[in-house]
Amino acid sequence: MGSPPILEMNSVEIADSRLSGHGSVRGVEWSVAAGECWVVAGVQGSGVSAFLETAAGLRPATSGMLQLFGSPVMALHGDTVSKIRERVGFLFSGSGRLFGSLTAIENITLPLRYHCGLSMEAAVEEVRPLMEWLELQSVAGAAPSRLGRGMRLRVALARALALRPKLLVLDDPVAGLDSGQIRWWRSIVTSLSTGVPWLNGLPATVIVGTEVLRPFLSVGHRFALIDRGAFKLLGDSGGVLALAEEPVREVLGEAF
Amino acid sequence: MDPVRASLPVPVPLPTPTVVAALLESCAQRIREVTQTVPRLLAFTLITLGTLLTKAGHARGVMYPLLTQQLFRTGARLVPMICLLGLMLGLVVVGQSIALLQKYGAANLTGILLVTVVIRELSPLIAALTVLARVGTASVVELGTARSQGEVEALESIGVDPIHYLVVPRVIAFTVSVMALAVYLVLTTLLGGYVFAFTRGLPLTFTQYLGHVAGSLVWLDFPLLALKTGLFGALIGMVICYQGLAQPIRLEEVGAATTRTVTLCGIGCLLIDAVFVPLYLVL
Repeated sequence: MGSPPILEMNSVEIADSRLSGHGSVRGVEWSVAAGECWVVAGVQGSGVSAFLETAAGLRPATSGMLQLFGSPVMALHGDTVSKIRERVGFLFSGSGRLFGSLTAIENITLPLRYHCGLSMEAAVEEVRPLMEWLELQSVAGAAPSRLGRGMRLRVALARALALRPKLLVLDDPVAGLDSGQIRWWRSIVTSLSTGVPWLNGLPATVIVGTEVLRPFLSVGHRFALIDRGAFKLLGDSGGVLALAEEPVREVLGEAF
Repeated sequence: MDPVRASLPVPVPLPTPTVVAALLESCAQRIREVTQTVPRLLAFTLITLGTLLTKAGHARGVMYPLLTQQLFRTGARLVPMICLLGLMLGLVVVGQSIALLQKYGAANLTGILLVTVVIRELSPLIAALTVLARVGTASVVELGTARSQGEVEALESIGVDPIHYLVVPRVIAFTVSVMALAVYLVLTTLLGGYVFAFTRGLPLTFTQYLGHVAGSLVWLDFPLLALKTGLFGALIGMVICYQGLAQPIRLEEVGAATTRTVTLCGIGCLLIDAVFVPLYLVL
């Protein structure tokens, strides 16, 4: 018998904003197994960000059953939710939502200092391999406002990875980036899903949200589409390319 | 135009029923806002108190430097300004009062006047309003901007409790700072008052001056001063965090939130002050 899924959604309805309470994505049936790399696509405004935040346990689902690591998220409170969140890394879209009052290294080490009680020096030493892997040594002392968007996203990725999460959710990491940076992100997602020393060589479970599928066709194991409030499973990359439906063509994008 | 008519004063139009109705509606709107805000603020305060108690000592490596930084920013950095304010207040208000009392042969009232005006009323309120003006408004902008840019959600995403990380250090810092700054203000105001009396050549030695003040103080003045200033500081800290953080806010709404904070804190401090008046009257 296989291991239980990392993430499971049954008849889940996702609210389109934290306040409205109206569902933007309805009837989601989804199961993510350990070590899988999922790519969830949707055009702008389709609700991909809200969907990913709900999947990561950051916002409540309007209805249905959402389980993370076998625990129903809606029934959890306080410290238990916090413990679940420590096992999920989340990269926000845009500029990664770094803390503007902290430097890059302070942003990256904050989870370790807060949860593991490490001193600043010990935390910096701890994340040194992560910084080297993500090529961030040169910007360690910089304030987020002095960094370009691409570099801010890398710092945000390092912060999301600092606690060595089991599940990593990346919300549109390549939007607006040049082809060189897209290639960098593709290689990073590939490394994460095959296993990197920072995560003890084990493949991470990765969910990537994107407006354009093509850059991740060779990276993702499974693909899904959010289209007009419906969550559709598309299968593997071969399946995606074989589909001729207009919504799929729309998110597939130009040949990369 | 007829020169006679032109020389007549322009008649001031009387408020029309529509204007009166709009004013009443505006007042009703403000009352509705306050009645909605107060219970939410109380709930937010209880949540903060719960977090303060349950997470005391948690993540010391992060929280202690944060608390020190807030204490420096809210309290220590304001000491020179408060001392200057106290000296000027002493010269202008206390010094003149002493001179007048001496002039009219009521020097025996110096002590009770100083205790009532400086220690019980003026210093706590001025310390609180100075902290609100210098640090409070900046803090609302800082927290409101952080909230509008999604930093609260970012904290939640790494499992950090935003109340613990952002609210608790600020509320502690505001409480401690207003308490401490009020003491500095009391001391420098009294000193300023004596400097004025001394330069005017009034027949009052420093020992006599301090004797008047000490003789009019009762032991309850100390805990009441601590309680009052502590409540002022805690109120300011809570209102700031509530307006900046407790509700979703857009960047363009930060300015309005700052104005609401100043209004709420001003009214709140005066209401707390009013509660203490009956206590002081029985002392």
